Amino acid sequence: MEKDGLELEITELRLGLPGRDVTEKMMKKRGFTEMIMTSSGSNSEQCESGAVSSGVDVEKVNDTPAAKTQVVGWPPVCSYRRKNSCKEVSTTKVGLGYVKVSMDGVPYLRKMDLGSSQDYDDLAFALDKLFGFHGIGVALKDGDNCEYVTIYEDKDGDWMLGGDVPWGMFIESCKRLRIMKRSDATGFGLQPRGVDE
Amino acid sequence: MNRAIKSRLSTSEMNYFPDEVIEHIFDFIASHRDRNSISLVNKSWHKIERYSRHQVFIGNCYAISPERLIRRFPCLRSLTLKGKPHFADFNLVPHEWGGFLHPWIDALAKGRVGLEELRLKRMVVSDESLELLSRSFVSFKSLVLVSCDGFTTDGLASVAANCRHLRELDLQENEIDDHRGQWLNCFPDTCTTLVSLNFACLKGETNLAALERLVARSPNLKSLKVNRAVPLEALTRLMSCAPQLVDLGVGCYENEPEPESFAKLMAAIKKCTLLRSLSGFSEVAPVCLTAFYPICENLTSLNLSYAAELQGNHLIEFVQFCKRVQRLWILDSIGDKGLEIVASSCKELQELRVFPSDPHDEEDNNTAVTEVGLVAISAGCPKLHSILYFCKQMTNEALITVARNCPNFIRFRLCILEPNKPDPITSQSLDEGFGAIVQACKGLRRLSVSGLLTDKVFLYIGMYAEQLEMLSIAFAGDTDKGMLYVLNGCKKLRKLEIRDSPFGNAALLADVGKYETMRSLWMSSCEVTLGGCKRLARNAPWLNVEIINENESGRMERNEEDEREKVDRLYLYRTVVGTRRDAPPCVTIL
Repeated sequence: MEKDGLELEITELRLGLPGRDVTEKMMKKRGFTEMIMTSSGSNSEQCESGAVSSGVDVEKVNDTPAAKTQVVGWPPVCSYRRKNSCKEVSTTKVGLGYVKVSMDGVPYLRKMDLGSSQDYDDLAFALDKLFGFHGIGVALKDGDNCEYVTIYEDKDGDWMLGGDVPWGMFIESCKRLRIMKRSDATGFGLQPRGVDE
Repeated sequence: MNRAIKSRLSTSEMNYFPDEVIEHIFDFIASHRDRNSISLVNKSWHKIERYSRHQVFIGNCYAISPERLIRRFPCLRSLTLKGKPHFADFNLVPHEWGGFLHPWIDALAKGRVGLEELRLKRMVVSDESLELLSRSFVSFKSLVLVSCDGFTTDGLASVAANCRHLRELDLQENEIDDHRGQWLNCFPDTCTTLVSLNFACLKGETNLAALERLVARSPNLKSLKVNRAVPLEALTRLMSCAPQLVDLGVGCYENEPEPESFAKLMAAIKKCTLLRSLSGFSEVAPVCLTAFYPICENLTSLNLSYAAELQGNHLIEFVQFCKRVQRLWILDSIGDKGLEIVASSCKELQELRVFPSDPHDEEDNNTAVTEVGLVAISAGCPKLHSILYFCKQMTNEALITVARNCPNFIRFRLCILEPNKPDPITSQSLDEGFGAIVQACKGLRRLSVSGLLTDKVFLYIGMYAEQLEMLSIAFAGDTDKGMLYVLNGCKKLRKLEIRDSPFGNAALLADVGKYETMRSLWMSSCEVTLGGCKRLARNAPWLNVEIINENESGRMERNEEDEREKVDRLYLYRTVVGTRRDAPPCVTIL
């Protein structure tokens, strides 16, 4: 049985780096350093095109050897748990930092890390916690029924209503947040929403 | 009674009893396996068993169709269904792979089945399905959803509004789109039957007033697990009107509770003398844990695995007083020292799970656990039978000691965070350590291996793990021999899941008949090729052989593919209903 397997291996085309003496055993054992979490999550592409040898940096590895490369789905912690208890750094978050958050009627400015929220629900919850009472967050999802309005200043310096655009777009463009009373918001000069109501 | 008479009391004798009597005898047989066995005895028993079967467990929703289920068991009352394969938990299965609930509800409704209980795991559930469910089964009592997705709080609202006799609504670790509607308000005022309510996984606002009214009118409520939007004062009020609670899941605490609110909370907790199980604590200040000191000695189950904010010393301070705890889920921030304290305090411990607080070691965490903690637990806790342990390192010596201390393991799942990591002291593989485990633990049913492992560990597993039903392998083995040892040796194997290991066609194809005795096989990033899978599918028409691809470029390209192309992900399972028709483009069924 194993012989069949061997024959197949020999006839298979392999794109190894030239001048490398790769033994059979090394070919079969796949090192995890090759497997990099790309944005598409695919790992088989990297394995096919690079040298199949553990411990060697494949040319596609951008990280320094000191940095830990992440393997898809490893360690085997279920995704719900990862989102809710682990100190995870998602590779999709780029250049996020702290934004200033001001709230009408509250004398001090606060700062919060947008990167620690996963979606508008998380942000709403974090805002509630930041100012110590509930109800701010509701403005984000259910804007029309709330005493407060959550607005943010985007990269262009315009003030936009929070909650309209997809989360990814929001976190990339949000420079600061402001929670203001609905009554004060009219006439503030918010950029109109794209959709007619 | 002499032997001659005894030997004649056979099943044929039993057939002289009226069916009702036989049925009554069958009522005492609860286990699915025993039920399956008695249904095979003869036609008469098969028929009686069919009509008296009320509980059915389906481990793979694609192994059978809802229509055939209902035809065979028309008196079904309780159904358990599992959908996606286990590795879907780790993002290895595309979101749209399958496991849809709707066809089941549709068929059950049309078949006028008197469904009362539904338990689902890794299924895709829609609001429409929940609505249909709520309207179709008048006696519906219990809905348990674990790791499901696809629905919103609107679906929950239908269940709340329409299931008049609802006793249990248990949502565990689901991805639910929270529309922040008033689903809790949808429970009618006449609903007073709730025994268990768990909505910890909901992310949005909770209508606190509606929740309090609901709890107040549910005198039978034993289990309540709230989400993070339930603050301290509300929790106090809830506990005050439900002192009969046995199982509590705590939501959110402010960081600095006022002394008065804290005192009120403690007073309410003191009254909950029946409380045995505690969980939640996703946002909590250390001082708040101390509010539970009055009842911690009564606890048999404690889940602090979501309490990422708690430091190790606070965890230790609390856990050491939980002397009766049998089930403990905790984060590795407890450290080896903490586990040593657990070992000396918690002598009733049966199940321990230690999760990683920092899975990718981003903070260069030095408080993660090692073999020291595991050895301590094994030495101090004689009743331990189940363990899930995420650790930085493990040694053969430690595993051999653990095997000697705890021969009663049923479940042994070890995850060394760094793949391929050898014994740090000897630099050898961990074959001998795991070998000792399978040799000593004769009742072992579930095993997960990790660290540096050669084919030898699988030789040991095949030789000794006679009761093994589920095996998880990652980054292990050298040749096809490894997988063959397991397939040939483990007679009771039901589920085998393998990732990133050098097993190929030779192992896959050696004994095709073996897969008929198993529920499923998963292989990802291994050496099996398309050609090998095609050959398997040809020789085993009773299997669904699914190839899952990353790119969704559709099936058109498949025919031109080189048969020597390695397969990303292979999932195969036995089925009596052939190829499923709901597979998405990224899945090819051979």
